[in-house]
Amino acid sequence: MFRRISAVALLTITTGLLAQKSAPANLTADLPAGTMQAKASAACLECHEARIILQQRLSKAAWTKEVDKMTKWGAAVDAADRDALIDYLTTNFSPDKPAYAPPRTANKNASGKTSD
Amino acid sequence: MILRSFRFVDLESPVEYFSTWLTPVPHFFVRNHMHEPIELDAGGWRLSLGGEVEKSVTLSLAELSKLEIHSVVNTLECAGNGRSLQRPPVPGIQWGKGAVGTARFSGPRLRDVLQRAGVKPAGKHVMFRGLDEVPGKVPPFIRSIPIEKALDADTLIATHMNGSPLTKHHGFPARALVPGWIGAASCKWLTEIKLLDAEFIGNFMSPGYRLPNQAVKPGDAVRPEDTHAVTALSVKSVISGPIDGSSLKANKVTVHGAAWAGEADVVKVEVSVDGGTSWNRAKLGRDQAHYAWRLWSFDWKPSKGGDYSIQSRATDSQGRIQPTTPVWNPSGYLYNAVDQVNLHVS
Repeated sequence: MFRRISAVALLTITTGLLAQKSAPANLTADLPAGTMQAKASAACLECHEARIILQQRLSKAAWTKEVDKMTKWGAAVDAADRDALIDYLTTNFSPDKPAYAPPRTANKNASGKTSD
Repeated sequence: MILRSFRFVDLESPVEYFSTWLTPVPHFFVRNHMHEPIELDAGGWRLSLGGEVEKSVTLSLAELSKLEIHSVVNTLECAGNGRSLQRPPVPGIQWGKGAVGTARFSGPRLRDVLQRAGVKPAGKHVMFRGLDEVPGKVPPFIRSIPIEKALDADTLIATHMNGSPLTKHHGFPARALVPGWIGAASCKWLTEIKLLDAEFIGNFMSPGYRLPNQAVKPGDAVRPEDTHAVTALSVKSVISGPIDGSSLKANKVTVHGAAWAGEADVVKVEVSVDGGTSWNRAKLGRDQAHYAWRLWSFDWKPSKGGDYSIQSRATDSQGRIQPTTPVWNPSGYLYNAVDQVNLHVS
């Protein structure tokens, strides 16, 4: 079993990082729809959030390397799903897609207080 | 801050924050490879030293704080800063220009701590292990630096940043501070130091954080023996204002930013307002320290309205100059091409 970050820890990070008045950044994001969405979410998001995937723009060869590396590192990818997962990632996150636009957290001043 | 990832926490500073010599801690980028330690108890925290030493030593935070404290103003930059500008794209956190910041780090010198244990002649590399929570079968974040850099008078076990105890995001209660080197050298949540007779063998030393010895093209196979560990930072400047895409109504524009060069000193920053055809010398800021960036500015009077491509390039004391075109590498490390913003002046 992977060690999933606890709800308490998540709340602590949330409070410290994203407590804000304006332009709230969604804490989590979803992988895009598709027949592999559920399996990709189960395999990848156990350890990290979807944004780490959403921001990539990679060729099929690069996605193949990433999937094989992550599988070696513990991602639960059924061998029968490997090629479909690579295709799903390549289709949705190829170099020809527009760049991912990341959200912003609140602006904090030097004292650490949140401001508008 | 720009949210590159929430889990793990990876935060980038917008370049417009680079208007002060010291970056306020809340504006300082955060790079985590894994989950932050869930529980950190300063009272129970211990730092152990072992390996090729005369005697193993364990220090508490109180014991560490009794050693002579030294401060270093250091520009810390993630090796992958600027990765999103690489073409073709490469995998990894897609940093823009802001995975960099400058702070005054304080704490005992690493060499004073090593002296307590006594380094044996066989101790040639110093390994750092942090308290990161490792998910799945991911290799732990362990790296090493050569003994020569570890014994440098400015290499610290930092407990403070800009005069305050480190925040959790930045490695509380103690982190390595390896000045002038990529951020990954400065292990956070430090808990173990081990003297080794050779470079540590692990994912974050190889294949991670290595550059090809020769320029390579996308798709080229690179053998591990043809690579070297990424250590010191490159020469680099960024424009922090006006921000890219601005429309200005002004007959005088101050172009400003920051420039740094790792272990070298920035000696010159130039600004071009004509897309790189001609260059003008920028004025360097008064604040300086060996490992810290220099702020710079250039007052420009546009002769007419229109669209302009503004560029900056730095030169350092080793004679290095920012390249006009990026040097591509498979992991997108040390991106340092001439910076550019596009403006409209009316």
